[in-house]
Amino acid sequence: MNRRRFRAALLLAAALALGAASCGIEPASAGRGSDTITIDTANYPSTLDPGKQYDTDTYSVYRNIFDQLLRRDPKTNAIKGWLATSWHQTDPLTWRFTMRKGVTFSDGSPLTAEDASYSISRILDKKFGSQQYANFSVIDKATADGGDLVVHTSVPSPTLLSYLTTLSVVPKAYVERVGNKQFAVKPIGSGPYVLQSATAGSEVVLTANPKWWGPAPQIRTAVFRAVPNVASRVADLQSRKVDLATTLTPDAADQIRRDPTLQILSTPTERVAYLAYNTIKGGPTNDPRVRKAIAEAIDYNAIIQNLERGYAKPINSMATPLAFGYDKSLPGDRHDPADAKRLLQQANAVGATLVMATSPSFDPQVVQAIQGDLAAVGLRVEIQNSDQATYLKKVQDPSHDWGSIRFGRWSCSCQDSDGVIYPLFHTGEIWSSYSNPDFDKIVEQARETIDPAKRISLYRQAFELLGKDRPGIGLFQAYAVYGANSRLIWTPDASESLFLDQMKVS
Amino acid sequence: MTALAVSARRRRTRSLPATPRYVAGRLAQAVLALFGVTTIVFFALRLSGDPARLLVPEGATAADIQRVRDQLGLSDSLWHQYVSFLGNAVHGDLGYSYVQNRPATALIAERLPYTANLAVAALILSVVFGVTIGVITALKRGKWQERVLMPIVLIGQAMPAFWTGLLLVLVFSVALRWLPSTGYDGPASLVLPAITLASLSAAAIARVTRGAVLEQLSQDYVRTAKAKGASTTRLVLRHLARNSTIPVLTVAALELANLLGGAVVTEVIFAWPGIGQLTIQSVSARDFPVVQAIVLFASAVYIVVNLLTDLLYGVIDRRVTAGGRGGAA
Repeated sequence: MNRRRFRAALLLAAALALGAASCGIEPASAGRGSDTITIDTANYPSTLDPGKQYDTDTYSVYRNIFDQLLRRDPKTNAIKGWLATSWHQTDPLTWRFTMRKGVTFSDGSPLTAEDASYSISRILDKKFGSQQYANFSVIDKATADGGDLVVHTSVPSPTLLSYLTTLSVVPKAYVERVGNKQFAVKPIGSGPYVLQSATAGSEVVLTANPKWWGPAPQIRTAVFRAVPNVASRVADLQSRKVDLATTLTPDAADQIRRDPTLQILSTPTERVAYLAYNTIKGGPTNDPRVRKAIAEAIDYNAIIQNLERGYAKPINSMATPLAFGYDKSLPGDRHDPADAKRLLQQANAVGATLVMATSPSFDPQVVQAIQGDLAAVGLRVEIQNSDQATYLKKVQDPSHDWGSIRFGRWSCSCQDSDGVIYPLFHTGEIWSSYSNPDFDKIVEQARETIDPAKRISLYRQAFELLGKDRPGIGLFQAYAVYGANSRLIWTPDASESLFLDQMKVS
Repeated sequence: MTALAVSARRRRTRSLPATPRYVAGRLAQAVLALFGVTTIVFFALRLSGDPARLLVPEGATAADIQRVRDQLGLSDSLWHQYVSFLGNAVHGDLGYSYVQNRPATALIAERLPYTANLAVAALILSVVFGVTIGVITALKRGKWQERVLMPIVLIGQAMPAFWTGLLLVLVFSVALRWLPSTGYDGPASLVLPAITLASLSAAAIARVTRGAVLEQLSQDYVRTAKAKGASTTRLVLRHLARNSTIPVLTVAALELANLLGGAVVTEVIFAWPGIGQLTIQSVSARDFPVVQAIVLFASAVYIVVNLLTDLLYGVIDRRVTAGGRGGAA
């Protein structure tokens, strides 16, 4: 019996030891040199195929491997040439782009207009199933013509160039040879960096591409790590494990500011924090006076200073100053609880209960602050918090049965008013619980008007209407907040991109 | 945990003939259980939200969402989706991740080594500490050793992983810089997450061990052994260990099964790229194929570990396999 027990114990110990030994996992990080940078992002990129997904943590990585057709100037945000050096319209529906000469992919093959048109066509191809299709759906077809890229749109599209700044150009011959699945794992691009290694769920290592056509970047190696917990990203910065951490909360930023060897890098983005009303089945919020009262009840500065810790800016409409069509002359809403009470009395809505739909993706502190502000003027707010998938299902349902108000953050990655107020307030759009034929007519016309001056005047009318009717209010312009080691020299840009070729280390 | 110990003892007294027929029966039950679990998860997931809405960019229209839905096969009737899921699952094809566009099984296979490493390390730690503390507190019942050790164990169990984990990181990574804070850079990276996890399971094991040893201490054979002048070491190693193993093994096996299913909180804090992280990402993205595959995998691990434990009882205590003859020891 004793021997048997001993054998059993041995067996168990051996199994455990074997388990530990057989699950050999490789240490991920390579040695860190002075020209290496390590970056913590919240999520592992969902793919390295730039045709598939366009979420921040994914494009932060792959936009370094690929060149985009156009880029935004990091300082002025103006659209500038990148792979396309110049462009013009041959008719309202046709755009012709001249491609940069002498660009090659990292395998040595030349990059041509053919590759650029293929990069668009595969996103439009239903079988490919690109999740960015919505950004390019206005394009009818893209072709290569005598070394130029020609893009045909179904209607005149003033935002086409904006969306083309998000287009990464992939090598047609290589993708067709290896197939989409293999390409997502072993991508080849023409960008400043090439993929060195990827450890699933953990990290991606990029190294400088010696064949890149631009000036050689100072950073030779970059390690992107996926660290979902914000406190852990802060700990990584504090323990000098990483040089840069993205998506910090305002209180995490406070912690970093106290460390003299670390710095906070931040920039206003095109992301607007907003409150949208249900004006169709919202009960009290069907009344524009109640909507105005709510807008006056909110203490905008308290939210910006106390909750966002100053990493936000007041705004006067649903658009940020980065968006085309932004009108700085609009008065905006001011904190005026006395007038809010008066309006509620007028509307006979004192003591009314409002359902506020939200999800954990949206700062709970801001939601609670709004609840408090509204209670102060005599409105009861019942917060209904559901996870993002359920929240979307509820608020996007055509029945409009989601409550009265909701808090959200919006960015169209297009820096254009069209990408903000059209989907949020145009009749019948999934996000819209508002209907106004006059507004619809203006934004429909604006989205097909190429002439910038004419578009600006259309958006002025649209924002005036929104200011009067208030189907939603802008709360603040959100910042992108990064924590960094003080050896990093970098100015983040409004598009929330991490272009490594724009970074330096001292 | 006492409930577990009791059920283990009950199981021990039940007749468990380790025949091939018994194993076959257990396997058939296992397949049935797996089928039930996947069916429930399949339908519950589909009621909980629409992955297409989460995948499209912010300004997407209803038509854009429908297009993604069509492409993912979510426009078919639920029944149709279910039948094709089962058909593919039988062939080992659990579908493609909606988010990562790769086979769900491949994603799990990539993450499994990380989770297994962490689980085994945590289990070894918790068994070593749990059993040691359990035996000491039983032998020194009412003495200062028990009064010092038991609260430590209880604190370990009471502190949630996100708190223990961050505390360890603050001390050992940020302040002392001895150990890496996140990720996997070699064996040193395993230390903090393994301690975090072990602090939870060690308490359970310590308490079960203590209970089992206390029960044995009141037995006649212990008194006889003591009367014969056996030293404490001899008493523990030769007499108590064998007779107290089964409840401890039961708890340890359950802990292992839990750990292999992925330690969500610990993996998130330490950016450990295991099954736990994959689970939480897939659930929040409503990545149906991956969630289904993970649930199937975790249930299979649970069932297999339990089965192996039952079979191991027989190896440790012949009375279990002999069937029927074993009474309370």
